[in-house]
Amino acid sequence: MLRDITLGQYYQTDSVIHRLDPRVKLTATLCYIISLFVVKNIWGYLLAALFLAGVIKLSNVPFKFMVKGMRAIVFLLLLTVVFNLFLTPGDPLISIWKITITKQGFQTASMMAVRLVFLIIGSSVMTLTTTPNNLTDGMESMMNPLKKLKVPVHEVAMMMSIALRFIPILMEETDKIMKAQIARGADFESGNIIKKVKSLVPLLVPLFISAFRRANDLAMAMEARCYQGGEHRTKMKPLVYKRRDRISYAVIAGYLAICIVVGRIL
Amino acid sequence: MNLIETKNLSFDYIRRDEEGNVEGITRAVDDVSLSVKQGDFIAILGHNGSGKSTLAKHINAILYPTEGSVFVDGKDTKNEEEIWNIRQNAGMVFQNPDNQIIGQVVEEDVGFGPENLGVPTKEIWERVEESLKAVGMYEYRKHSPNKLSGGQKQRVSIAGVIAMHPKCIVLDEPTAMLDPNGRKEVIRAARALNDVENVTIILITHYMEEVIFADKVYVMDKGQIVMQGTPREVFSKVEELKSLRLDVPQVTLLAYELQKRGLQLPNGILTTDELVQALKHVKIRG
Repeated sequence: MLRDITLGQYYQTDSVIHRLDPRVKLTATLCYIISLFVVKNIWGYLLAALFLAGVIKLSNVPFKFMVKGMRAIVFLLLLTVVFNLFLTPGDPLISIWKITITKQGFQTASMMAVRLVFLIIGSSVMTLTTTPNNLTDGMESMMNPLKKLKVPVHEVAMMMSIALRFIPILMEETDKIMKAQIARGADFESGNIIKKVKSLVPLLVPLFISAFRRANDLAMAMEARCYQGGEHRTKMKPLVYKRRDRISYAVIAGYLAICIVVGRIL
Repeated sequence: MNLIETKNLSFDYIRRDEEGNVEGITRAVDDVSLSVKQGDFIAILGHNGSGKSTLAKHINAILYPTEGSVFVDGKDTKNEEEIWNIRQNAGMVFQNPDNQIIGQVVEEDVGFGPENLGVPTKEIWERVEESLKAVGMYEYRKHSPNKLSGGQKQRVSIAGVIAMHPKCIVLDEPTAMLDPNGRKEVIRAARALNDVENVTIILITHYMEEVIFADKVYVMDKGQIVMQGTPREVFSKVEELKSLRLDVPQVTLLAYELQKRGLQLPNGILTTDELVQALKHVKIRG
């Protein structure tokens, strides 16, 4: 059913990771990505793998959901590996006809592949364990300092959460319009790509009109409920750090420090 | 003192062409004066384009009068400093339930109004709980609004307004997009609020069955109030309502037709029970 679509890929279950403050998860993901680019040797990658495995275990999300995210980057991954493998100059390892695989090339290629895979899985852990709503809240609160630079942080967060709320409604509407057009003989299936794109016009025009109408209604409803932007606003669900959040901050800081020591110096 | 008072209120919709020149003026509300007391249940009737929704939007200070004035709780809606105060006191529920729910979870949507008013977190939760209980939607508080029925969504919208603790709620055709069951749910919730919490209700509708419980009914046509009185008074004028392209409730119509054929029935019968009782007392002649 279209109605059941949730944006992102939130996996509903209960775990320590799910209950963590979204700010902690955002920071941790950022730190993890940094750590992947800091480490330079096998021990560092081993540490990153162990850390990731530990977090996945704690999150109670089946591993196959993490791998799903990989599908999108298979092509990028292959491209990176192939280019690095064949085009890095250095000591030849294997040489067939005109193609030479160098020792350095092999090293960089495998390093890049591991990095990319860890990076994608690492960020999937965050999106799988945090509701889009929670994520928006976390981002709003973390970007609060930018308000001083006149960045409309609250407004952007509000837009994101309204967009999330209206995606299923607009999907349903698209479905309805599509059926109405098909009933009148529209053809969305056959023809080449240009014809297919052209056939979308009678779908998109009514959809846009309806979206604008909805936006107008919603703005009026929000004003009627005294919405005046972010100032003087209180929160129904304010983000408050708990003990587990502080511990997690310590853990992630410790991990990053060890990564720098192990991955660079050893 | 009256909670809501309009004095010779008129409103023009001005259509402009691309250069901003006035192309035409439509007078949507024309010289309307009415007053509503605290705790009243008022119904405003009228067919499409009669100006009833335009009138409603004045009470919430979404539109401002072209001529005349509107007072909510003694405050003039033209006074910009009072606008948020007025909007808090006069809540509004709109026609399309999908286009007025902001939150992704029922309880978050109900909390939206109090959040805007700057109510402390703990009190927001108390208000959300009591409002959802008042409309009978408390067990759905963790649900996504997309998975509710139309009537349930509209009840959530009402809860969202109640959470702001308004003195009056304006319902602008809240049942127009609902099925008969949903309509009943919403009207029941509105009546309960009026009875139990003594909240003033202004119900705008074109369904006659919904207004028979009202304390007072106003009928609008072409921007003017053409009839007013208790439901019984208004519905006893069947011919006049028909000339305004409005239907009377079926029972009332049946009683009216029986009356025309010579049966001695009282004027303005509103419910089936009343008709049954009245028929029992009819003396069969000849």
